[in-house]
Order: sequence, then C-alpha cells, then structure tokens
Amino acid sequence: MALPPKTAPCWQKLASGGMKKLRTSNLGAQMLSQRMELSKLPPAQKADEIYSFFVKWERGLANEIAQLNSL
Amino acid sequence: MKSLNLTASDQGRINALLSIDDTIALIRAGAPLAIAGRPNALDQLPAGNWIAGTTPYFMTADGGRVIDDTQVFVTDFSGLGAVRVVTYDEHHLPQITEDAPENGFAMAIMPFQSRCHERFANEASTYPLAFLKPTVGWIAGFDLAEGAAAAAVYDGANAVRHADRVVVLHIELPAEQCPSIEIINIFEADGVETIRFEDTSFAPAHCLINGERVSFVDYVKRRGREDGQLPLVGDFSGARINASIRTVEGDKVQLYAPVFPGIDYAFAGIVPDYVGAFREAFAAHVQEPAIWSCNCILNFLFGELEGKVIGGCAGPVTFGEIAYQLVNQTLVQVRAV
Repeated sequence: MALPPKTAPCWQKLASGGMKKLRTSNLGAQMLSQRMELSKLPPAQKADEIYSFFVKWERGLANEIAQLNSL
Repeated sequence: MKSLNLTASDQGRINALLSIDDTIALIRAGAPLAIAGRPNALDQLPAGNWIAGTTPYFMTADGGRVIDDTQVFVTDFSGLGAVRVVTYDEHHLPQITEDAPENGFAMAIMPFQSRCHERFANEASTYPLAFLKPTVGWIAGFDLAEGAAAAAVYDGANAVRHADRVVVLHIELPAEQCPSIEIINIFEADGVETIRFEDTSFAPAHCLINGERVSFVDYVKRRGREDGQLPLVGDFSGARINASIRTVEGDKVQLYAPVFPGIDYAFAGIVPDYVGAFREAFAAHVQEPAIWSCNCILNFLFGELEGKVIGGCAGPVTFGEIAYQLVNQTLVQVRAV
C-alpha cells in the first residue's frame, strides 16, 4: 500500500490521538507516539512530524501504513 | 591469541575482543572503529577514525567476559558508508541528530555520571530529529571492583580521553539499507500497581500510586525492591523502557535513568532465568546479524552472564544503553535492513 499524501486526513487523525491506536512493534514509532501524546504542539505540527517519520521509514512500516485508513 | 588477519577483516567486519597490537594495526589501516576496554588499554591507541569508552565487561560469541588491559573490544564499521568522528559537549547534544547522516545512524558513547549523561537522559526524546536520525550507543562505566574508578570516553580522531563529552561515530549506510534500532527487554510490568511521577528525575522524592501521592523511597521499601534487581518498566506506547534502581539510601532513591511525567510505570515482575529469557527473546526476533549491540551491566551481574552465551550477540556491557534515548537493563542492537 502506498503512503497517503501529506494532505490525507489520516495524518491529522494520527496527530489527534490516532498514534496510540496504531498497532506497532517499531521502537521509533512507539516512542514517537509517546512524544506526540505528551507534546503541546498544535495538531498540524504534530501531523507534519508524523508524516515525516512515515516518509523516512516507509520501507519498514508496511504493517503500520496498512492501518492508516482504518484508524 | 592469534594475530589479526587484516585481509579477512576486509571481507567480514570484526566485532570481537582483539589484542592491543591488532587494534593498533586496524586503526593504522584506516578502519572506522567503535572500541571499548579498560583505560590503560585505550590510552595506548593512536589517533585514527575511532571512538571508545571504558568498561571491562563484555558479551562475546563465547559468552560473557571480564577482560584485563591486554585486550579491547572492537566493532569495525568498514564497508558500510562514510564514517566520521565528532565530539560534543553538554551544550550541543541536540546537534548529534542534526549531524547524523540522512541514511544511517549516530553511535554515541558518554561517561557514566557526567553532565552529558544526565542531560542526554533527560532531553534526548525531545530533540527535533530524534526519530528521523536515530542515535544508539552506551554509557561508559568502570570495573566495579575498583571503588573510586571513573568512566571515560575517547575521541580517537585526536586520541584524547574525556570525562564529560559525548563521542560519536556518524555512520552512513548504503542506499539500499536502513538502520533498524531494536531493544530486547526481558522485563515486563508486574501488574500490581501503576506508578506515575510528577517530574523528570533521576531521584524522584514522590510518586503517584493510583493517584495518591506517596514518598517514593517508602514505596520502594514497601514493595521490597531496594536491591535494584527489578527495574521500573515504563509504557511508552507499547515499548517497555526501563529505569533501574541504583541505590536506596536514607530517604533517597537514585535511578540509573530518569523517570518522566505522563508515563505509566510499574515494577518489573521477577525473571527467574535471565539466560533463558534472552535466548527466548532472540528466538522470537528475526535474526539477521546485528552490526552493533550492547547489554546492561545489571543484566550481566544479576543474570550471572559471565561465561554464558545469549543469542550470539557480542558487544560492550554498559552502565546505560541508548536506543533513541537512555534505557536501562536492556539489550540494544542495530541491524542494517
């Protein structure tokens, strides 16, 4: 499954609590999820950070990307 | 000990104990190296493309070892991509991730109980690029039998020893590979009570147990956890990140890593067989070889790992491990996938 574009609503969902629902054993994704939960950044900025993470590590996040449209 | 065959080292990277002479030969041949050993051994090494930290404890392919100063442990990063040495002081730690290669990772060593250690532990997870340019590494230690010993790190580019700097190898990987940062934590929350903390601290005075604020030292004593064998296990969105008990003296508990507000902690349940637990964890992982790994001194001591083999991993036994941030009582490894 291809990575959704930056404008896709899934990134805002992930930034607004959706990261916690992601089933992942990727250590970086788990730690980023925790950082997002504790962060006081505006959701748009969080969404940017999450999107950048998925772009960077796309090759190793196939299982996580498959969940993006069902979160 | 057999002399090192440098031709062979070009074909398969070294990750093992070597004599001082063989290590010097590798350095002079220009190999990019991460080295660990006793200070008397590391002091003999010439300038080159290497970093090092002090510890006499190791996991090797033949089992856990405590070495003297005739050997050092060498991890050779030849054949991957560009590797460069950079040294940072406590005021420039976020720069580690800024400087890391776009495709690769930063391998950092910092001395136990230094300001760099404390600041990195408290702040690493907030660095802007922390999860885009990963940092792995370890906290340098010392021989626990030598009471007054101090940890040190070495900037191999200048063959200089530091008591409070972070030395880093920035390691680039080939375009078709990317780094996979993994931890093997044999501890799980015991499920008895959830513990929360109000501040980031290596020495929390209070904690919240089911919302009630209590003295942390009293809580540790009530749970019978003063011996430090069982860490606090933090739930970082499913990742189990430990903070280990270092000392319980008077009204103060000192930890080997800070606890953070907003994280659910619990004491770990008892692990009756460390070696079996590690072997089981390795068997459950995909086991393409790691290009680097380290394990914790507390696992080495409490698990009595000297002379025992766990999953074929080899590397320094450390006073703290780094996988994006500081972790405790955990095996950390990097694979190129």
